[in-house]
Amino acid sequence: MIRWCLGLCTLASVLASTVSGQAPTTQSSVEREFLSRVRRLTVEGRRAGEGYWAPNGQSLVFQSEREPGNPFYQIYRLNLATGTSTRMSPGLGKTTCAFINPVTDDVLFASTHHDASSKQQQDEELAFRASGKERRYAWDYDPEMELYVRSSATGTLRRLTNARGYDAEASYSPDGQWIAFSSTRDAYNRDLSAAEQKQLGVDPSYFGEIYLMRADADGTPPTRLTSVPGYDGGPFFSPDGTRIIWRRFDEAGLIADVWTMKLDGSDPRQITTFASMSWAPYFHPSGEYIFFASNKLGFENFEVFIVDADGRKEPVRVTYTDGFDGLPVPSPNGQQLAWTSSRGGGREGQIFLAQWNHERARAALAAAPARKAP
Amino acid sequence: MVLGLGLAHAQDAARSLTKDHVRTLASDRFEGRAAGTSGERRAADYIAAQLTRLGAKPLPGQRSLLAPFVFTAGSRDGGSRVGVTAGTAAAREFNGAGDVLALSFSDDGDISGQVVFAGYGIVVPEAQSLSYDSYAGLDVTGKLVLVLRYFPENADQATRAVLARYSDLRYKALAARQRGARGLLVVTGPTSPNAGTTIPMTFDTAIAGSGLSAASVSARVAQAILGDRSLDELQRALDTGNPHVAGMSTDSQVRLHTAVVRQRQTGRNVVAYFPATTSVADVERPWVALGAHYDHLGRGLGGNSLASRTDAGRPHLGADDNASGTAAVLAVAEQLSKRPRARHVLVGLWSAEEIGLIGSAAFVASGGLKPGEIAAYLNFDMVGRMVDNRLAVQATGTSGTWPALLEQVNVAAGFDLALQPDPYQPTDVASFNQAGVPSLSFTTGAHVDYHKPSDTADKINYEDLDRIVSLASSIVERVMAAPQAPVFAKVEQSQQTAGRTGLRVFTGTVPDYTAEAKGLLLGGVVGGGPAEQAGLQKGDLIVEIAGQTIANIYDYTYALELLKIGQPANVTYVRSGERRQTTLTPSARK
Repeated sequence: MIRWCLGLCTLASVLASTVSGQAPTTQSSVEREFLSRVRRLTVEGRRAGEGYWAPNGQSLVFQSEREPGNPFYQIYRLNLATGTSTRMSPGLGKTTCAFINPVTDDVLFASTHHDASSKQQQDEELAFRASGKERRYAWDYDPEMELYVRSSATGTLRRLTNARGYDAEASYSPDGQWIAFSSTRDAYNRDLSAAEQKQLGVDPSYFGEIYLMRADADGTPPTRLTSVPGYDGGPFFSPDGTRIIWRRFDEAGLIADVWTMKLDGSDPRQITTFASMSWAPYFHPSGEYIFFASNKLGFENFEVFIVDADGRKEPVRVTYTDGFDGLPVPSPNGQQLAWTSSRGGGREGQIFLAQWNHERARAALAAAPARKAP
Repeated sequence: MVLGLGLAHAQDAARSLTKDHVRTLASDRFEGRAAGTSGERRAADYIAAQLTRLGAKPLPGQRSLLAPFVFTAGSRDGGSRVGVTAGTAAAREFNGAGDVLALSFSDDGDISGQVVFAGYGIVVPEAQSLSYDSYAGLDVTGKLVLVLRYFPENADQATRAVLARYSDLRYKALAARQRGARGLLVVTGPTSPNAGTTIPMTFDTAIAGSGLSAASVSARVAQAILGDRSLDELQRALDTGNPHVAGMSTDSQVRLHTAVVRQRQTGRNVVAYFPATTSVADVERPWVALGAHYDHLGRGLGGNSLASRTDAGRPHLGADDNASGTAAVLAVAEQLSKRPRARHVLVGLWSAEEIGLIGSAAFVASGGLKPGEIAAYLNFDMVGRMVDNRLAVQATGTSGTWPALLEQVNVAAGFDLALQPDPYQPTDVASFNQAGVPSLSFTTGAHVDYHKPSDTADKINYEDLDRIVSLASSIVERVMAAPQAPVFAKVEQSQQTAGRTGLRVFTGTVPDYTAEAKGLLLGGVVGGGPAEQAGLQKGDLIVEIAGQTIANIYDYTYALELLKIGQPANVTYVRSGERRQTTLTPSARK
């Protein structure tokens, strides 16, 4: 789920000192042109994020730390008609990155609840927090993380992956037949060189690669789509199902950019070249453009941008609020945007929702200058 | 008949539930609704009539919806005087406001004794990093103490930061009393603002005496006491902030007569309830309460007005503050009056909020309804000026129930909610928090018309005010329906809010209290004030002032204490994402 934690964890300690004193800004009129009627969707708990829509736009799945006994994320589904949230995950251990099957309505997510040490890890983390000490939240790429799907018909849980390594950040194809996900399994199923072994200890995400598997997990091994050193993660399908969009980090794990490729891994195209951390890409349902988040303007100041689907032009900035704005996910009808923001106060994110001005976005993209050469 | 009413209601559905109430309450007829005035009485009658129309009842055991209470509306000097006998010289008598004025918290009576000059009269508690004790080496037992007002003018910023906290007059009186002094005389030194003048009796409504006689005296009186020691020189020696500059005994004997006339007035809360429609015999904490203050500043003569000179003395209509909150309560009551209720709904419209949350505190203390019977209290204060869909909800730390409940109801209501756990807010929610009632307080924040005659009904955002009513109704519905009442959680009061001293400088900034920005977001600036002259405007975010980093409103008020009147201070602010600098010259707050 690095879709979120990346931003505030892995690299935070490396670069945080370089941007202290980042000038805060208030919501500007430019932001309002794109996003109107901003409202806060999640309130409860320490933080929430990664909200992904049901195809009918009537509910969202998201992750949130909101249960007293478990300091880690669990998966919830928010019914937009009633306002009630229901936990989808078992409640034990860590989970991340849910997604709703567009055909069956089943809920896909990654979880470690089968790990016998889950409860112990929860208690240790709670004790640590109770001690009053603070540290930056660190996403640990737990190799116990496996993909699960919860049947919306029966509520039963089915395990889809069974390989040592972090399997997470999964999403369905529009026809519900395929799952794209990120996995560090390559680091666990072969002998690593001494340098690689060291790398695994320092930053396991380095081994993250994009895989494609059948949604019914019929036993066919997943297909590996990427093989470039550095973390590849957060894959989603284009609305027509012909391409995958994801974010690719450099080897040092400092710079990320948005890429797209065909479902067999061919024709990789780099969409952004900010030389900053550009990640969490997601297509608008029109297929015309892509949302993503970047800290181009300051290490901890992530903002949402849009860019045309082929990255021919310079991205256009959408949010103008200090702190974190990221993980943008448009509603299925393309008229709303759900995203994760710290604009409610404090450092932690919650999910916000606003009306999305599609026409304004198209006009802004049409007027954008050509993208500078990398 | 019933059918007719139903149709009328259906036709009204598209109309605002709040607009008529705001327009009425904020009309000239109520003259700004100052507590204890005829305008307040007429407003109370209007509110009571509206509630009666909706079917509300007086509280059990009461016959009227009007609940009067007596409060101290202010105080004036009742002829204090001082006689000074310096050494062998003949006694000199001083009286009149120019030379001696009792402090509003003084005991009445006559005392006499030797005078000890104790510098600024500041004692910093030992736990602080800075050691400063004006009484070091002095024996003041049974004597009168003469001290300077404020704190050392030329101390370095860090020292001023600490001393400012302990320079409040009440705190100085406490320090003197604890050292055994019988009386306190305060003089404003020659190098301080308002040099040499006595301190006007403030609109200080606290009734509790300080346990000693206390008065401010003119420089003339102080000099008579000090004899051949120059007050000017004494202050200059102290103004470096050096804690080792000693006080001293004088050869003077003083007779002090203090008299404070406290003006008692009667204010009126309007309190009513809608009985539960089902039995509450087995319901835990069977009441839910809604409240707002309906009083305002009248013509603004009480000291809280921010009116410009040309507007001074005109009725402060208080459309947002707090006809909006009053209208919200009436509208929520109207909605709930037509629905099944599993708990009783208490409706309280408080008076004398503007002079210190007096009406709500009187209600809580009255015992008419035990706070332990109230499942939750919802407060509305300035809810009519919503901008950008932002709604601040304060006191959310008073129960673990609130975040989840707010999340549920806000999915439909759709506000950009900003949660503030702190219940120690300058509004009536503080009275209920104090009584252990899980509470919430809603506000859309301050603005340029805050506490001015220009806070008028035409500037109210009725559409969003009605949305707040819907949100509040859903919250009450859910609290009524839940078998278990929210569990109260005590929020510790932060030192920052606890230790604030009175501000003496005026900058003309109007903070946006709803903002959670990292700095002080300006909701506006006072016309012609120092901030406007400095080029600051609504929407600017102050991040640094006089070298002090500003992270929140507490930092800001704290930094203001360190400013010097008439001395330009550098201000760093952010406008449209760009850091800018300006210079602001504070003026004196009267």
